Amino acid sequence: MTEIEKLPSVPLADGIDRFIQRIGLTVAWAYVALVLVIILQVVLRKGFASGLIALEELQWHLYAVGVMFGLSYAQTTNSHIRVDLFYSSFRAKTKHVIEILGILILVMPFIAIVFFHSLDFVADSWRINEHSSAPSGLGWRWLIKSTIPISFALLALAMVSRLIRDFTLLMRGDA
Amino acid sequence: ADKLLLKTPIAFGTHLPALGTPIAWVADQLKLVSDGKVKMKVYEPGKLVSPPEILDAVSSGKVNSGYSTAGYWQGKMPAAALFSAVPFGPEAGEYMAWLYYGNGMSLYQEMYDTAGYNVKVMPCAIISPETSGWFSKPIEKPEDLKGLNMRFFGLGASVMEKLGVGTVQLPGGEIFGALEKGAIDATEFSQPAIDQRLGLHKIVKYNYFPGWHQQATVFELLINKDTWGKMSKGQQALVETTCKASMTNAIAEGEAMQFEVMEKAAENGVEIRYWNQTMLDTFKSKWDEVVAEKTAADPFFNKVWTDLSTFRKGYDLWEANAFLPRAQK
Amino acid sequence: MDINEILVIAMFLSFIALLFTGIPVAWVLGGIGVIFAGIGFLADMYMDTMTGLDYTTLGLVVNRLWKIMDNWILVALPMFIFMGIMLDKSGVAERLMQSMQELFGRVRGGLAITVTAIGIILAASTGIIGASVVLLAVMSLPSMTKQGYAMPLALGTIASAGTLGILIPPSIMLVIMADQLGLSVGDLFMGAVFPGLMLGGFYILYILITGIVKPDAAPIPPDAKPITMNAFMNVMKAVLPTLALIFVVLGSIFAGIATPTEASGVGAFGATMLAMYNRKFNFKVLKEVVGGTMNTTAYIFAIFIGATCFALVLRELGGDELIESFLTGLPFGPYGIIFFILGVIFLLGFFLDWIEITLIILPLLAPVISALGLDIDGYGVVDNPELVWFVMLVAMALQTSFLTPPVGFALFYLKGVCPPNVQLRDIYKGVIPFIILQLIGLLILVFWPQLVLWLPATAYG
Ligand code: NA
Ligand code: NA
Repeated sequence: MTEIEKLPSVPLADGIDRFIQRIGLTVAWAYVALVLVIILQVVLRKGFASGLIALEELQWHLYAVGVMFGLSYAQTTNSHIRVDLFYSSFRAKTKHVIEILGILILVMPFIAIVFFHSLDFVADSWRINEHSSAPSGLGWRWLIKSTIPISFALLALAMVSRLIRDFTLLMRGDA
Repeated sequence: ADKLLLKTPIAFGTHLPALGTPIAWVADQLKLVSDGKVKMKVYEPGKLVSPPEILDAVSSGKVNSGYSTAGYWQGKMPAAALFSAVPFGPEAGEYMAWLYYGNGMSLYQEMYDTAGYNVKVMPCAIISPETSGWFSKPIEKPEDLKGLNMRFFGLGASVMEKLGVGTVQLPGGEIFGALEKGAIDATEFSQPAIDQRLGLHKIVKYNYFPGWHQQATVFELLINKDTWGKMSKGQQALVETTCKASMTNAIAEGEAMQFEVMEKAAENGVEIRYWNQTMLDTFKSKWDEVVAEKTAADPFFNKVWTDLSTFRKGYDLWEANAFLPRAQK
Repeated sequence: MDINEILVIAMFLSFIALLFTGIPVAWVLGGIGVIFAGIGFLADMYMDTMTGLDYTTLGLVVNRLWKIMDNWILVALPMFIFMGIMLDKSGVAERLMQSMQELFGRVRGGLAITVTAIGIILAASTGIIGASVVLLAVMSLPSMTKQGYAMPLALGTIASAGTLGILIPPSIMLVIMADQLGLSVGDLFMGAVFPGLMLGGFYILYILITGIVKPDAAPIPPDAKPITMNAFMNVMKAVLPTLALIFVVLGSIFAGIATPTEASGVGAFGATMLAMYNRKFNFKVLKEVVGGTMNTTAYIFAIFIGATCFALVLRELGGDELIESFLTGLPFGPYGIIFFILGVIFLLGFFLDWIEITLIILPLLAPVISALGLDIDGYGVVDNPELVWFVMLVAMALQTSFLTPPVGFALFYLKGVCPPNVQLRDIYKGVIPFIILQLIGLLILVFWPQLVLWLPATAYG
């Protein structure tokens, strides 16, 4: 649906992006599952008066997986929102330089902070085999928590791909 | 070090009487009694970190202390529920007796230590009973509960499920809307003075007591163990004593503010009801089933439960003889 | 000025400056957060500040990120997006828009009015601005473009109609405000109904007037026919399925079958059924819908994630205290103070998210307002009437902040789904009249509190 400004092709970056998109589009089916789980929950509760905390939790599990893996997917489709007030009138070269500096100075440190701290976060959860705080909720909390490091690693990979693309284009001197 | 700043994210806003006001009081007192050398900076829920993340934040040293209730950690340590509120459990006096002069405190600390959390724990407030819930119709017999959808938090939810209640654990903010529209039929939340703030009395009229699921609730102050180790003996005593004083302050505040709210609710057409004996017996027998499952599933839960039960059995002799019977109404 | 204050202001300014480089908003927020955490750390070491920021503390970002993930209420966002894209792919949305347009026949701006009307309906079914804006844009922007609407008018209509959801109940913002101030959610929900409808009415009025004053901005389709009974029946036939869907979503909430969160899933399911009914449903369509949902949800949440890092660091640098000291002890009379506070909130809304403002500022203001001794009549039913009224003023000021450049989240979401030839500056231009309408609405609320308080008093009296 979103008409994304097509980025010029760079083979290696294209390959990485395709890989990330294949993962993203597979995970995206979580949203279909989410629709079905919600319907199931409503039917069970209203029809049979047996709403389940586990189903309620499964809903945000599915949503969270979709959101987190979406980050890298949206990066490869160049969909993250920019204030283009001036940006849209920059020359291609300026845009490449901004992109490279932005990724190196702003994005990568942020990703690194989240990634490295999330490792401990997941390890703790794994160590005590964390369960939902609701007695009849879902177990294996470390599994859903581990989407943080995995999805942020993918996001970092997507950023690397973008770096390769912009650097190549900058060297090539494309207009 | 001479000076100490405890950065303390909290689980309940300081505007909430009895749930949140005690820690604000503690912060004030710490500064006063230490002549400004020990300070506590309180962060409202979610400002730094949201309530369920407080334990992780303190243990990993992202903050050096935190104020919460152990019930939040029962997904990490099943026994934690027993240090927060126990269905059909002790009232405040008995609870404190077990914690301070029974094995309560050492088991409490042991729980965090064995689970690998780098925290020092101390009770820092205790409050009186919660209400048992808000219903749109009278509940006279167990069958009246069957098929209801109810918001219920914690160990009590397992009891309700055994009675054929569909339970959900909606966050505080969604309760009013869900109840008003009928997506749930009943809810429990907290004490009358807190429930009143949610406006529950505006939609459902049957408010049941006693809160068998939460006769007393303990709130804890967690301090990162490295921070604790670096504190002087005097500083440690200062914090521990202030927390003990806070127990007195919190229960006094909570006891003082409920009846006025209940009177006003009654004026607004709320029916204040007391569970009949059949219902109480039913809840109790289902709770016994839940306990049997929990003790079988988790050894440490079993250890704490056995210790608490032994203490309570001893206390029974005293309790049955020492206190006047309570008049109902 | 002490060092903390300088750091807070520097953080704001760097954020704004970097925004205009065109680096994605989410990454500017997150990156500035990390950089200023480093600066705070160095300041602690060499400049005697007490921010407490370091690598360990910054790890709180992960805990905060996790709270975004396990937030059940936010499940509604991807579901409404799913519903919107499905309606679009299934051709249902276009047909709905066309039919509604026919119904308005020769009324200039009929299509834009339709958008506003649907915006009000969506607002009553969810409080998620991102979802409403995206849904409305996907459904109506192509039709409006085809019909030759002036871009700014079309975009302004969508953005403003989409933000109504934060005010008209159910509203997450009001829920959080009630929680912060210890007010009844019911009172706030009821109190927001008339102010919300009033704003919707203003929008429609504005569109009608624009149609008269600047006919080119809102052209009538060349083949517009006067409404006949026959045409009316045809329209009804075309509209019926979609109306049924909206009825199912809203109905499931009002009949108590589903919570507003679940209703979003019911809507997504219903939209899929509609697509099947129209024989537009197949595996390829589903795949496109799923991919689109993934993409749109992600760029919205990326901003949440970046913002949570920014807010954490801002707070640790002492941003709260700075704002507090700025607001307390103002030398004005009661209404003077109220206007000043609203003005400050409005200005902060240019840069901050409503969540931040609600969490940081509202609790500081409540005692100030209570102490003003305003005589606001709650009919003996509404508790703390002056606070309920004041919260509604703040809510409307904050709702406006979604529309104000440079940081207006409604504008960002809209930009995300627009064709690439539409630029943010078109959107900025389009929302200005609607911002002015909002301010007029705010003034009316200030001088006529009963617009807020009458309904809760009547409903719960
Ligand atoms: Na809404
Ligand atoms: Na804004």
